[in-house]
Amino acid sequence: MKTLLANIVLGFTWMLLNSDLSYQNFLEGFFVGYLILWVAKGTFSSNRYFTKIPKLIGFVFFFLYELILANFKVAYDIITPTNLMRPGVVAIPLDAKTDLEITLLANLITLTPGTLSMDVSPDKKVIYVHSMYIENVEEFRKEIKTGLERKLLEVMR
Amino acid sequence: MITDMVITYFAMPVLAISFALIFIRIARGPGLEDRVVGLDVLTSVGIAFFAVYSVFTKNSTFLDVGIILGLVSFLGTVAFSYYLERRGR
Amino acid sequence: MIADIISAALIAIGAILVLLSAIGLLKLPDIYMRMSATTKSATLGVGSILLGTAIVFWDIGIMSRGLIIISFLFLTAPVAAHMIGRAAYINKVPLWENSIVDELNKNVEDNEHVKQ
Repeated sequence: MKTLLANIVLGFTWMLLNSDLSYQNFLEGFFVGYLILWVAKGTFSSNRYFTKIPKLIGFVFFFLYELILANFKVAYDIITPTNLMRPGVVAIPLDAKTDLEITLLANLITLTPGTLSMDVSPDKKVIYVHSMYIENVEEFRKEIKTGLERKLLEVMR
Repeated sequence: MITDMVITYFAMPVLAISFALIFIRIARGPGLEDRVVGLDVLTSVGIAFFAVYSVFTKNSTFLDVGIILGLVSFLGTVAFSYYLERRGR
Repeated sequence: MIADIISAALIAIGAILVLLSAIGLLKLPDIYMRMSATTKSATLGVGSILLGTAIVFWDIGIMSRGLIIISFLFLTAPVAAHMIGRAAYINKVPLWENSIVDELNKNVEDNEHVKQ
């Protein structure tokens, strides 16, 4: 958190030194500040900041890839007249503990088309997911747990 | 140039057809839930139409309308689903 | 010129996605499938159209406005879909008859509030 603030201050300093108060210039300064803090890693800035940001960017790209892929799958299904879908509601045990993690996971599951998070059990141990493509219940459960949930928890913790 | 042609001859007609299809679902939907889903999608398509129209008229003020529409439609959907949940209990 | 082609392509793709979601809304058999398939393709389509619009204007104020709408849509769409889905299940809207499993109903003794 402290490192993020230092990074923002460095971005502003870059902006003032260039005497150019624009948005792009701030982003440039932020990037340069990030590099400077990376060089000074361990002395002033925390190590956690530098393992987390690349993971976050990686997660965003992974999620966009999933989103577009799933959209094509659904689009193909909508065009073709055959109803080969196998929908159902599956219970998935949660590894995520806090409210924030559960909320984020539920939102991400809902954003990938074809799946919809329907309910969380009152003791917050199980999430119920409706999906359009279930070949095998165990297989689907493993897919969500090792794919989306593990990657999300890597970023959050 | 190309964008204007795409908008006039492709995007606007396609969005209008989607409006019509969603209206059919709203009129036909077996339950109240289906109609709420239809309304939710309808406002999303409305935002898209405002964006396209702002390019068509070269007037960016229409994007503000999109922001307001997004806010109001979210509140409306949440209020509807809250009501439905209360009714089911 | 290149920006023109990119924005035209983004708007066309977005329009196609919106049309597909409208067709899906009409065609798919039950409310849960309709919602899980369509609201998200519609959101992605609208996002693509807004991105194309932002590229057309190429002005920092308008681009940030477009980005605000996109982020707002992506934040609120799943919450709305989740709430409608829960309300529909509580109101006992049936699943499609070809559905293969319903573990929410099986564990109903743990979930008194959604008994079907």
